Amino acid sequence: MGEPDRRFSFRGRPRSARPGEDLLAALARDRLPLLRRSIQYHRPQGPFCGIGHCAGCLVRVNGRPNVRACRYEPAEGDSVTTENAWPSPGFDLLAAIGLLFPNGVDTLHGLRRPAAATPIFQGLVRRLAGTGSPPTEEAGRALDAPAVERSCDVAVVGAGPSGRAVVRSLVASGTRPVVVERALRPTAVDGAELFGATTAVFLPPPREDAGGRFTVLAFREPAQAVRVTARSVVVASGGYDGPLLFRGNDRPGVITAAAALSLSEPPRHPPFGRAVVVGGGPRAAEQIERCGSAVEAVVAPGEVRPEVVRAAADLGVLLYPRSLLLRAYGRGRIRAIRIRARGGGAESTVPCDAVILAHRTLPHTQLFFQVGAKMDWHPEAGAYFPSVDPDGRTGVPRLFATGFVAGVRPGGLAEHADRLVRALSSRDLPPPSTPAAGSPRAPTELLGYYRELLRVPGHGRFVACPCADVLLSEVEEANRSGYRGIEVIKRYTSLGTGICQGRYCLPDALLVLSILENRPPEEVGYITQRPPVAVTPLAAFAALPAPASTTPEVP
Amino acid sequence: MTFSRGSYRTVVVGAGIVGLFTAYHLARSGGGPVLVVDRGFLSGGASGRNGGGVRQQWETRGTVRLAREAVAAYRRFGTEFGFNIWFRQSGYLFLAENDTELGRLKAVHTLVSSEGLPSTVLDAAGVARYIEGIAPGAVVGGTYLGSDGTLYPFPAVWGVYEAARSLGVEVALGVEALGVDVRDGRMAGVQTSKGTVATTTVVNAAGGWSGEFSRRAGLEVPNVATRHEILATESLKPFLDPMVVRASDGLYFSQSMRGEVIGGIALPHRPGTSRGQGSSPEFLLAMARALVGLIPRLRSVGVLRSWSGFYDDTPDGFPVIGPDPRLPGFVHANGFGGHGFMLAPATSRRVALAALGQPTDLDPAQFSPERFLAPGRAAVAERLQLG
Repeated sequence: MGEPDRRFSFRGRPRSARPGEDLLAALARDRLPLLRRSIQYHRPQGPFCGIGHCAGCLVRVNGRPNVRACRYEPAEGDSVTTENAWPSPGFDLLAAIGLLFPNGVDTLHGLRRPAAATPIFQGLVRRLAGTGSPPTEEAGRALDAPAVERSCDVAVVGAGPSGRAVVRSLVASGTRPVVVERALRPTAVDGAELFGATTAVFLPPPREDAGGRFTVLAFREPAQAVRVTARSVVVASGGYDGPLLFRGNDRPGVITAAAALSLSEPPRHPPFGRAVVVGGGPRAAEQIERCGSAVEAVVAPGEVRPEVVRAAADLGVLLYPRSLLLRAYGRGRIRAIRIRARGGGAESTVPCDAVILAHRTLPHTQLFFQVGAKMDWHPEAGAYFPSVDPDGRTGVPRLFATGFVAGVRPGGLAEHADRLVRALSSRDLPPPSTPAAGSPRAPTELLGYYRELLRVPGHGRFVACPCADVLLSEVEEANRSGYRGIEVIKRYTSLGTGICQGRYCLPDALLVLSILENRPPEEVGYITQRPPVAVTPLAAFAALPAPASTTPEVP
Repeated sequence: MTFSRGSYRTVVVGAGIVGLFTAYHLARSGGGPVLVVDRGFLSGGASGRNGGGVRQQWETRGTVRLAREAVAAYRRFGTEFGFNIWFRQSGYLFLAENDTELGRLKAVHTLVSSEGLPSTVLDAAGVARYIEGIAPGAVVGGTYLGSDGTLYPFPAVWGVYEAARSLGVEVALGVEALGVDVRDGRMAGVQTSKGTVATTTVVNAAGGWSGEFSRRAGLEVPNVATRHEILATESLKPFLDPMVVRASDGLYFSQSMRGEVIGGIALPHRPGTSRGQGSSPEFLLAMARALVGLIPRLRSVGVLRSWSGFYDDTPDGFPVIGPDPRLPGFVHANGFGGHGFMLAPATSRRVALAALGQPTDLDPAQFSPERFLAPGRAAVAERLQLG
């Protein structure tokens, strides 16, 4: 590459980042760092999702709060500090709140007497909340990139394997698409205009007064608006690793497979020495292949598939199929986990320094919800997927889906891309026919798993929502008080209203509520995230001129 | 079985803050049995979608007095209803961009002060003391009243819901009111999606859906539902105490207990557009531009989410409270224009009285449904339909 390392300071000490290395990777060279404290109880938190949605790696960079370290490439001379912990994330005196109130603080019913003390409680709670100090004016001024506007025939959201397959087919058919991809350094695609480090955050339904064209609102890190209008849109947004409830599930060291993979990408060494991989499917096998000797054991909620058994056997990795993960020990960092065989076997302790969640993949479906596509509930995945026909057509004319969100297997991407591009190019627009057959989504069995887990003593202390510090006991209390349905429970407990907007809590909350309310998850409610899909700086939106279509319509 | 009885003394349509408070007061004054029906889930309408502002700065004496009563009620809420609504009285700050606007705000100040509320007029430097980092030259001045404030709407809904239920009020969620039965020119029943219930009194507290329900009862009303959007940013340590409102474009925002900046802005109403409670890119762009224009240091702050809800607007900007003379037994508690939460504790007591056939102290020229039946009578109008 030839680029020099970038030197920056972290909490006043000199650090450096290799070319192409994001800030989180630079801070997680040897081990997973403890970067912050949770919003309410000041529980220690570290990087979790690795894809820029959770609160685990928020740091302050050059006076700008809430920067996701995993979405930021350090520049020479950057000043990086931590927030919401005093004096440091490792030793935070405010953690006394969490220790004094291990079962949580009831902010719904409590702290309201005596009435005269109300302003004092309010001032105190306000100061304890807040993930970061307000930005400096200089930090805002630095975000001055002018907005980018493109108009094209086809826009593609996502340049992972499925998005690239569609781009190849489009280019072969003579179309030059505009592609937005979230990865900071995406793989290049020939024949297309590619915006890397760019997240599509809003895809509203096409409006007649805009000629029926789609508008994709996106922003490029750190804060540049990208607005693409297109006749057709292909969404290849892929999936993400799902969460799991257990005691200590928000501790530093609990990470998703995506985070583990990116932090272990060669030539890097994994920032852990003895990890437990949760899951028994292909995603778990991928972890073992990547992290090798840094994997200590595999704990699977269900069965362990042959490819995992093979990978594990080569490396001497221990297998715990059909096991409940009860808790992670260790406060600042994980020391061990406690597990139990499903159906009530003996408990055992497995020493480890990381827990990698690879048991469940969930679809990135927010753009489909926003644009009004028809969605189907898939019980075996515990999630909604867009309704698609074999050519990738969705319920919205000229909106297509491919890859994981469309139920296309990795081996079938090229063939699906060709079909999709033929359908996209055809003049007639038949309505969606039969849904794609053959789902590659592994059954999660998670409903049965959680039914068993909810009988474990002390499960009330599981953190149901790490971003907003909501304990599972609060969800149960809401249920006992007669509140039903995910929408009401969200408002009652604040679950899902934090920085990840429910990505890493609502899927599990839906299963838990399904058990508590004794009805199928799809009746408990819809899981939607409101626009924007990812936290978007005001500067990006403010740089965009209003579209002509804001003039009042004639009734 | 959806309803426990076949007949109720009063049926309230809408389980938002207005409907629930009304049901609560009805049950307390012996007006039961009361049934509340709502087409959605609890807090699914505007009561769960507003910015939580509660202010007493208004253009008419009648509204100022109701608002002052509501503020007192919200101060007592925690001890009376058992839920902490985090009612934080850290003021409402109205901004003026020019002398004309400042003149208008001064007139409000004069009225509000004459009611004994200590509002103050500020110059640009005075405003800057409340908004750290305000853009130079952004305002010429403003007005401020420290006892105005913000609250957290959800626990207020839960509190009144549970209090009403403990008084025997029945709340049926997911049940839509489809129309009314009329016998001998009087209310005789309410048709719902789960069957008809007999009642001689119905209270229309359906918020953004109230115009529709009145029309289903054969009553022509001028209520119009308008969609308003709000956004919330990521959470920051406290830097802003008051709710800030700009009269010229309807920009309003405050910083919540959790540190999020929550606010909205008026956009041109598009009649005929979708009634969905979704979001629009136009709003995000306009709101972002207004916020960073006023406080440039917010440029790097991220938008977490946006949502929308319905204002139930009337031509003169005042709510509609009281019995409809055209259909005895049909009582209005609607048209709050986005201010139902601010006024509900005060107005609902009077709605309950009206539903029991008793007189109220409300000025009919300002609040009664009759004011729209005699054309040309509207002499006053509320223009501070903001925040």
